[in-house]
Amino acid sequence: MDHTVSKIMSKDYQMKAAINQKLIEMGERERLKELLRAKLVESGWKDQLKAHCKDVIREKGLEHVTVEDLVTEVTPKGRALVPDSVKKELLQRIRAFLAQHAAL
Amino acid sequence: MKMEDMPLSGPDNTKLEALVNDIYSELVEDACLGLCFEVHRAVKQGYFFLDETDQESMKEFEIVDQPGVDIFGQVYNQWKNKECECPNCKRLIAASRFAPHLEKCLGMGRNSSRIANRRLASNNNMSKSESDQEDNDDLNDNDWSYGAEKRGEHRKSQTSPRRSKTLKHKNEFSPFQYNYNAGINYEMLGPDEVQSFLTTVSSFHGRKKSFQSQRCPQHTDEQRMAVRVFLLGPSAPVLPEADSVAVPESFDIPDGQALMSRLQWEDSPEISPSDSASSKASEEKSGSPFPIKRRTDKEPVSVSLTGTNHSDSRSLSTKKKKPKLTAPSISSIYDDLN
Repeated sequence: MDHTVSKIMSKDYQMKAAINQKLIEMGERERLKELLRAKLVESGWKDQLKAHCKDVIREKGLEHVTVEDLVTEVTPKGRALVPDSVKKELLQRIRAFLAQHAAL
Repeated sequence: MKMEDMPLSGPDNTKLEALVNDIYSELVEDACLGLCFEVHRAVKQGYFFLDETDQESMKEFEIVDQPGVDIFGQVYNQWKNKECECPNCKRLIAASRFAPHLEKCLGMGRNSSRIANRRLASNNNMSKSESDQEDNDDLNDNDWSYGAEKRGEHRKSQTSPRRSKTLKHKNEFSPFQYNYNAGINYEMLGPDEVQSFLTTVSSFHGRKKSFQSQRCPQHTDEQRMAVRVFLLGPSAPVLPEADSVAVPESFDIPDGQALMSRLQWEDSPEISPSDSASSKASEEKSGSPFPIKRRTDKEPVSVSLTGTNHSDSRSLSTKKKKPKLTAPSISSIYDDLN
């Protein structure tokens, strides 16, 4: 990293960037992503959210719906609808990864 | 999992937790975005609402849950007890047996020709006493007695391309010729035919089985002597005993080289260099007592070789080449005799 840039960035931010980088490099991020997707489909979260999407589309009109519309309508609801068990499992995995690989 | 169980210290812990949560949120947002893109594309491409049908159609295809009926509402063995009239033989056949019956009746199934031929053969066995005069003579000649099934199947060999007038015993080699016929193969041979076929084959390999003579029943001893004289010269050894066990091997080894030299149509470099052509070469060109049948495949037999002739003594001395040549010599002898 550039010397000046490292000064601007806080240590926290540095650490976060480093960890993210490590996540990606080791392929763990992809694995976590796939795991989350699979669990969400399994739990029916995807179908729930799709039904909500249908409502939004009907509301906005089929021809005129945009990505932004969907994102702004769907994402908060999506975050809220994630089952607790799925959330807990993911958090656990992330923590485990950090414990293993983060230089603390 | 409680915060207090974490092995890390306080401030770092919260920071760590915050970090973990951050990472988690990012992952969830990725998933949501993925879904949004998917839905948006489906909407724009027009397939988003395809899974929705109107209520009427939904009711039509609802899952049925009644006894005696499958989930589509169809009865399972509705047609089992019904009978159908075969368009070919005009019989009333049960519905479940109708398809196999049609196969046999119309002669279009996989096994229909086989079974029909077998039935015909066994019918001829029982109805006909003698089929062919020519076969009768041959039957008198040899030592084994064929089942009459052989005579019935004699008809098959008439269609094979290898049929020839010199081939008196069609029955014996018809199992081989079956390969040229349409739809007839080893599977259609009855137990007796298989037995005789096997004994024919095994006799080629020198193993003695149930039949009485080791000799090929196609030819007489006089013919054999004539051939021996023709091929080996006037000093041909006497025919070995009929019941000797190791027939093909002992028969071939001393004569392999000599026969190869006369029957070979291409000059093989393995054979030891020739002597001066003897008078036997000229004998071979002129009419021989045993007609050499014209070969239907590959190379024609040019019996007059350019100077590759052996005397018997030389052939015996070249022991190295015997194992190589006995195998091809067997096939060449019998191919030629066929």
